[in-house]
Formats: sequence, C-alpha cells, structure tokens
Amino acid sequence: MKKVLFFSMLFLSLFIVAACGGRTYELAMVTDVGDIDDESFNQGTWEGIVEYAEANNISHRYYQPQGESKEDYLDAIDLAVTRGAKVVVTPGFMFEEAIYEAQSRYPDVKFILLDGAPHAGDWVPSIASNTASIFYAEHESGFLAGYAAVMEGMTSLGFFGGVPVPPVVRFGVGFIAGAYYAANELGVELDFGPGNYEYRYSFAPDDTHRVRAAAWYARGVEVIFSAAGGVGSNVMAAAQAADAWMIGVDVDQGGLNDHVLTSAMKALGTSVQQVLDQYYAGNFPGGVSQTLTAAEDGVALPMESSRFTNFTQADYDAIHGLLADKTINVPAGYDDLVAFFTEHGLGDLPFEATDVLPAD
Amino acid sequence: MIELMNQLNFAFPYIIRAMALLSVVALGALFSERSGVVNIALEGIMIMGAFAGAWTMIIVMNNFAIPRQWNAFIGLSVGAVTGLIFSLFHAFAAIHMKSNQIISATALNFFAPAFAIFTARAVTGDRALNVRLDYSIRNIPILSDIPILGPWFFTNAYLSTFIAVFIFIVAYIVLYKTPFGLRLRSCGENPHAADSLGVNIYKIRYAGVMISGALAGLGGVMFVLSFSTRFDGAVAGFGFLSLAVLISGQWKPIRLILIAFLFALFRVVSEIPDELIGIRNLNLPQEIWRMLPFIATLVILAITSKGSAAPRAVGEPFDAGKR
Repeated sequence: MKKVLFFSMLFLSLFIVAACGGRTYELAMVTDVGDIDDESFNQGTWEGIVEYAEANNISHRYYQPQGESKEDYLDAIDLAVTRGAKVVVTPGFMFEEAIYEAQSRYPDVKFILLDGAPHAGDWVPSIASNTASIFYAEHESGFLAGYAAVMEGMTSLGFFGGVPVPPVVRFGVGFIAGAYYAANELGVELDFGPGNYEYRYSFAPDDTHRVRAAAWYARGVEVIFSAAGGVGSNVMAAAQAADAWMIGVDVDQGGLNDHVLTSAMKALGTSVQQVLDQYYAGNFPGGVSQTLTAAEDGVALPMESSRFTNFTQADYDAIHGLLADKTINVPAGYDDLVAFFTEHGLGDLPFEATDVLPAD
Repeated sequence: MIELMNQLNFAFPYIIRAMALLSVVALGALFSERSGVVNIALEGIMIMGAFAGAWTMIIVMNNFAIPRQWNAFIGLSVGAVTGLIFSLFHAFAAIHMKSNQIISATALNFFAPAFAIFTARAVTGDRALNVRLDYSIRNIPILSDIPILGPWFFTNAYLSTFIAVFIFIVAYIVLYKTPFGLRLRSCGENPHAADSLGVNIYKIRYAGVMISGALAGLGGVMFVLSFSTRFDGAVAGFGFLSLAVLISGQWKPIRLILIAFLFALFRVVSEIPDELIGIRNLNLPQEIWRMLPFIATLVILAITSKGSAAPRAVGEPFDAGKR
C-alpha cells in the first residue's frame, strides 16, 4: 500500500515537471512585491499586457519571484526566458540591478522596465539597446490629486506614503505642491504640515494603519492621500467609519469603496501597450529612458469615477492643460518644491527636507 | 481634562476591538493546549475563517436584503464552522496519526493563504474580497448615553465584541465549572491518569482542537469586520500574536484577557503617541513606541515565568501503552 502511494506520488511529480516543459509564452511579466491583483501597481501593468496580448493573440504569462532580492528576480527572469519570452516586463525600481545583468545575459530578449533604469548598483544608469526604461511623472499625478482636493473645498489634508522610495516621494512632493497651489488660487489657509505627512514603511494592510488614519480623521483631517499600496484599504476603512475621504493611488481605486474621492493614476497599462506596439512595429525604444508626464497622458485622475461635487471636468481639463504645456513645472524633489513655492508666491513651505525625504 | 476624555473615547474602541480579537483566538488556543495539543495553526485557521466569512457576507449582501448585523452574524457563524472543519485536519494528524504537532500545524499555515487566494481568484477573478460595508454599530439606545462606559464600549462598537464577551464567560464556566472542563485540563496535564479513570483522551483532544478552530475562524471574520472591511489573504499576524498572548497569559483565561488588553493598548498607543496628551511631549521616535508591546511582553514573561504553567503533556501525542 505504501509502495503504491510512493510510486503514484513519484509519477505525479514527474508529470508536473514534464507538463511545465511544453508551452512557450512570448510576453512575460515578472511581478514586484505583491501579486497581479494588488489593485495597484502590478495589476495595472498586468491588465495592460493581457489586454494587448488578447487583442493581438499573443501568448502571455506572469512569473512571481520567490523573494525580493536581485537573485530572486533574476531567477524569475531566467525562467521567463527559458519559457520562450521575447519581451519581459518588470514593474518597479526594485528590478534595476536585476535588469542590468539580464540585459547583457539575454541580448535577444527585450526588457521593459517601469519606474526605473538599469544600473550596476551605483545608480549610474546603463541602458542597453534591448531595454526600454519608463518613468512616470508621479509628482504631476500627486499635484493633480492635491489640487483637485483643495479646489473641491477641503482644507485639512493628510498624506500616507508607503516606503519612501523615489516614486512615493514624488507623489508626496507633487501632492504638497498641488494643494498649496490651489490654496493660493482660492485664497484659503491649509492645515497640511509635517504632522499630517508620514511614511508608513509598509505596503501591506495592517490594523495599525487604520488606527493612525482614524486618529487623523478624528482631529479633523478631511482627506488622506494614500500612496502606499495595500495600506490604502485600511485608510478606506477608516474614511468610511469617519465619513471622510481618501485618495487612491496608481490605478483607479474608485470602485473599491464609496469613500475614495479620486485616484492619482499612472497610465501603467497604456504605456506598456505603447511600447509593445512599437516593438511589434520594429522600432523598440531601447537604450533610452523616457518619462511619461501629463503631456503624454502618462498621469491622470479618473474623472468618471471620482466623487467630486465642486471640482468639474472643465477645472480638471484646465489644470491638466497647464501641466501638459509646461506652464506649471511640478516639483519632483524637495529643492524644486522650495523653488516652486518661491516662484508662485505660495508663502513659507511648512515642510523640512527630512519630512519629505527621511534619512535612512 | 476634556481633551484627555476625548482621546480616551477615541482610543478605547480600537483597544477593545484588538483586545476582543486577540482574546477570542487565544482562548480557543487555550482549549487546544490545555487538552494537550499545541495549535500553532491559528493564523492559517483564521485566514480560512476570514475567507469563508467574507465570501458568505458578500453573497448574502448581494442577494438578500437583511439587516447588516444579521449578515455580520451569519458571516461570523460561517467563519467559525469553517475554522472548526479546517482544524480537523490538524486534529486528525496530531491526535489520530500521532504526528508532530508543529509540522501538521505549519502545513495548515502554509496551505490556508494559498488556498484562499487561489479560490478567491478562481471564483471572483480577484484575490481580494471586498466586504465594503461598515459593520460598526454607531450608537446603541440608552447604553451609549452612559457616561464614560457609553463612548468606550457602546459607540462605534462591533457585534463581534459582544460575542467575544459572551464567549469568554461561557468558556470560563466550561473550563472550570463543568466535568468536561476538568477532563480537558487533566488531558493536558496527565493523560495517562485521566485515561486510567475512563476519560476518552482522543475525544477530549478532538473537542479541544475543534473549539480552538471554531474560535480562530470566528476571529478571522472579526478581523475582516473590524479592521480591514476586506479579505486579502492575510490577517496581519494576529494568529501568532494570539499565541504569544496565550503563553504570556500562562494558559489561564483571566490573565490572558489582561495580556490581550496590554497588547491591544500598546498596539493602539504606539500608533498615536503624537496625538495623546502628556505622551506627545516626550518626543520619542515612533520606533520606540512600536517596540513597546514586545518589550512589555518580555518583561512580563521574565516576571511571571517563574511559575510557568504550561500544561505538562502539551505537544505529546497520547500513547496508551506508554506509562
């Protein structure tokens, strides 16, 4: 009996190994921290790939790394290439060093790196001709969110960042700039300082985030912009209980909860589709790094699903236009933010450099 | 003074919520461990309970127009039943097959999130189940107006908290005032002596594990209801935390409640130190506050471990021939 069981297990495992060898997948995505339905970064990218692949009948598949180290990412990329990937999409700056190695290891495979540029660990970008590096102007997305919230009539704002990685910091800086720009336009005083600006050092949901958000809402914060992945769900729960608002991030999160005011979106899916289009047309934008801004529709607010009552589509189009034609240059870092406040006469900046970009 | 009152009124419901969750799950584990079976599968069982409960609540919400609290009650019940069934795997391996109890429980911990995410995705196309609605009870007539206690216990309260209180009372009576409780405790201390007196060790231990499974499953739904309003394949480590509560509480219900309160208190206070009067002037970094629950545990354990009261036969498979 035991022998029968043993051999059947053996055959089963052989079968599983053999089954893996069969099909190949032309489009591959390797996920960052989280899963393809994180309702955020990975999901936005993956949905773009699926839509493109299904429209054009291309085989596609995603791979989840075993961990979060460079080796884990490389293993996943190796696997994807072994399984026939011609294009590997990797969302997240965490892939920078892994792609740096992969691009020379597999010169015939194209890599699309979102939110980062490959480097050898020295932060000096080195983009091979088979890699396309795409950045998004998160600061412009954050700007739109902050501007819209204040124009909507809110004066007490809060910001939850995840881990202070560059895209998250850019979201926050842009949010400050947008909020104070709108406040200046309306001539209102804002209650939005370092006490309402914080990094949670996490992208995962936890009850402690909810307590923190609830404490802010309890002392009068009207809206919290959560640029922190899964933490957003706790902020939503707190907003719901306090009958207040929150702003989602990366993708349109308006469908998740009735208390999502709007979402600071990055056009992850469409940008991947554009690059794939270029690849299949024979002009892959390799070797360079491009930043998608409002001008390229790389960032946006989803106006159809937003719950504004005062901030209209016309208002949105107006401010979006100012960003797109570079009438307003949204700051991306602290120094630029200081300059932005001076340039537009927004008064004293209530934030110190360490509030926005904490030293580690 | 008014400010202090407001802060307490704000913080207390959160403390109570975390405390209710921790103590319900730890109380379940207490039944299992006092009967002699280690149950570190709490986290996995909570996830299964949360998954089943959240899913049921979504189905009920979409198809039937019943009051919210009834739906919450249904969700909690389904979570408890699911937890009970799921814990049977552990019970069977640990009691019947005499396997190593740590290993079979670890297997459940690994299995639960994978199964829940896989199934959720297969059924709804999304790993997360959004319950969406807020199930808190804003106000209870009369009770909410009681000074101090009203805002602390009866405003923004959850049905699950009251269920937790009820469970605690019942559990205490069962454990210390009924023959079943005595037999259960004796199974964890000296199963051979109990066996010689005609107690069916297997039955009692099955009961112990099943109770822990039911309460952990219930706890999983409590987590979804009162913390996240969605199920996302995890319960933020509350299962393991409950185990810590059980051990720090020395396997005794009253102490366990006090430890659960302490854990919950620090968990909440560590998040809002800059909001609390008196504390905010200390200007301690947030990291220090986050460490507090764990430092407190170490200190409490160091003080209380002298009379450590782990059930003597916990973790040992029962072998009638080995006296």
